[in-house]
Amino acid sequence: MPVNIIVCVKQILDPEIPSRDFRVDAEQREAVRGAANLVTNIFCENALETALQLKEKSGGKITVISYGADSTEDALRKALAMKADAAIHILNDGQAHPDPLSVAQVLAAAIRKLGEFDVVMLGRESGDWGVGQTAGLLAEELGVAAVAFVDKVEIGADGLQLKRQTDVGYERVAATMPLVISITNDEHNVPRIPKTRDVMMSFRQPLTKWTLEDLGVNAAEVRAGNHYYAVVDLFIPVQELNCEFVDGDTLEARVEKFAQRIIEVTGSM
Amino acid sequence: MNFELNEEQQQIKQSIREFAEAELRPHVLEWDESQHFPIELLPKFAQLGLMGIIFPDEYGGAGMGYIEYATIIEELGRVDPSIALSIAAHNSLCSGHLYIAASEAQKHKYLLPLAKGEYLGAWGLTEPSSGSDASSMRTVAVRKNGGWVLNGSKNFITNATFAATTVALAITDRTAGTHGISAFIIERGTQGFSVAKKENKLGMRASDTAALVFDDCYIPDDNLIGQEGQGFIQAMKVLDGGRISIAALSLGIAQGAYEAAVKYAKERHQFSKPIAEFQAIQFKLADMATELEAARLLTWRAAALKDQGKIVTKESSMAKLYASEVAVRVAEESVQIHGGYGYIKDYPAEKFWRDSKLCTIGEGTSEIQRTVIARQLLRA
Repeated sequence: MPVNIIVCVKQILDPEIPSRDFRVDAEQREAVRGAANLVTNIFCENALETALQLKEKSGGKITVISYGADSTEDALRKALAMKADAAIHILNDGQAHPDPLSVAQVLAAAIRKLGEFDVVMLGRESGDWGVGQTAGLLAEELGVAAVAFVDKVEIGADGLQLKRQTDVGYERVAATMPLVISITNDEHNVPRIPKTRDVMMSFRQPLTKWTLEDLGVNAAEVRAGNHYYAVVDLFIPVQELNCEFVDGDTLEARVEKFAQRIIEVTGSM
Repeated sequence: MNFELNEEQQQIKQSIREFAEAELRPHVLEWDESQHFPIELLPKFAQLGLMGIIFPDEYGGAGMGYIEYATIIEELGRVDPSIALSIAAHNSLCSGHLYIAASEAQKHKYLLPLAKGEYLGAWGLTEPSSGSDASSMRTVAVRKNGGWVLNGSKNFITNATFAATTVALAITDRTAGTHGISAFIIERGTQGFSVAKKENKLGMRASDTAALVFDDCYIPDDNLIGQEGQGFIQAMKVLDGGRISIAALSLGIAQGAYEAAVKYAKERHQFSKPIAEFQAIQFKLADMATELEAARLLTWRAAALKDQGKIVTKESSMAKLYASEVAVRVAEESVQIHGGYGYIKDYPAEKFWRDSKLCTIGEGTSEIQRTVIARQLLRA
């Protein structure tokens, strides 16, 4: 059964940069890009990898959508190189960090414009702000069900068989389509590295570009954004290292004191 | 003039970097110590298109140019120079010779599977007593029964143990000098053809290097590449392209060593501050980075001219000469910046230093590069 899959991806500041190179602009409440690369959010790549594996088994089509600045084209080209079928770039021409609801509204409008779909896959959260709300809000906007923290997707009898991670283990969910899934990482969805030839070909493939006006959303409202959500403060936590020695006459006494200090210290955390 | 990689090339660079970090980096030291070439990764190299980078689609290649090729070799070399060397030798030398000079039938039979990465290729020019003076080789090929019988040996051959196809040069007319040397395709398992001693090397230890022996080895006439007596001229053309890949390999080593030095200089505290704050270290880093950039520009220039179809004998020799010597200097300074930690295997500096030295020797020593450059300069 061919599946029509939409994967939403986000480009972020490379979270792998060494911590000594990471700076924040406290006034703007933003990370400073500095020499860091922009990369596709890892959970989004896990989502794309999951989609590619599903398509390899079931057939169908994968359309990748991203809402972001001009540089987002790199993330979409990479998705094409990984063998997504089509890519759509919705240009974010203003806000540095649109809130998840604005993003969900924009993505939903783009998906409606595309027409029918079977499943939308997103990363469980982004590696920069880590809010993790977009998938749920997008499902709400589209009026379909959402399943979060999925690490395996298979074709089931009349829909999809999903395995999702929970705090205490995992759940198996039978879901009917259409639906929205947020994907988490797992050993089976490590993103593939595109072939050099496919990287080259990705630059010769068409890439659809839409503006907010093309989508019929209230562009002014989306650009203003942040109605329910505000970043109050942004700072790098200061780590303090203290070394403490416990004393005592006997080994038992020292162990006892050591255990007590651990309880005190962890209790105050 | 544009001195930056285009977006497409940057994405290829990024893709290879991700691959090298994920698949090579965790094993670098282990492969170095055990002298293990990871033949088990061949399907992955092939899938990425690394085994036929510069050959067109119709021969199973990825159809890229020399700029992309140099970028890929540099990125591999930045993490594991041995792997970069093996892949460069496979592409530039064995497959490169077939691409430049073989017949269509030979290309389809031998280049296609090599470029697709079904197996590795090796190239045999050097002999125990003929290195820089390549034309003084002793391996002979004598006509017999509609074919050729080869006798002699080749040494320091990259990929020798694993290669299913080897291109080797032999004398077919001792009286004709360099015009009496011909190139042959030898399949693994051919009677009288064997792989001899595997070398225990200073650096590049994960790259397979061994000797080849021909003992009354019969090769059909179909396996002669091009015309009889053209082998040496073909080999010189092969080396024009090959030198670009060794220049790129040198860049990778220098880049890896430089990055290790910067990282260490920022982390290492002496006299209550990071050593990167001392001018003695800063000047070293500045010189390393500057020389590295100069070497990269020379390499890219040779690659760009090669992509335009120009003869790049001088340019590729200049790139190889300069980049390889920069690699040795930068790697040595990286060891120096690391101090005692540069001398032990817990840090990557010592390995880059050991690996770098191959670059001023292999595929033409620095002295031979200077000879080639001078000959080109004074020819007019």
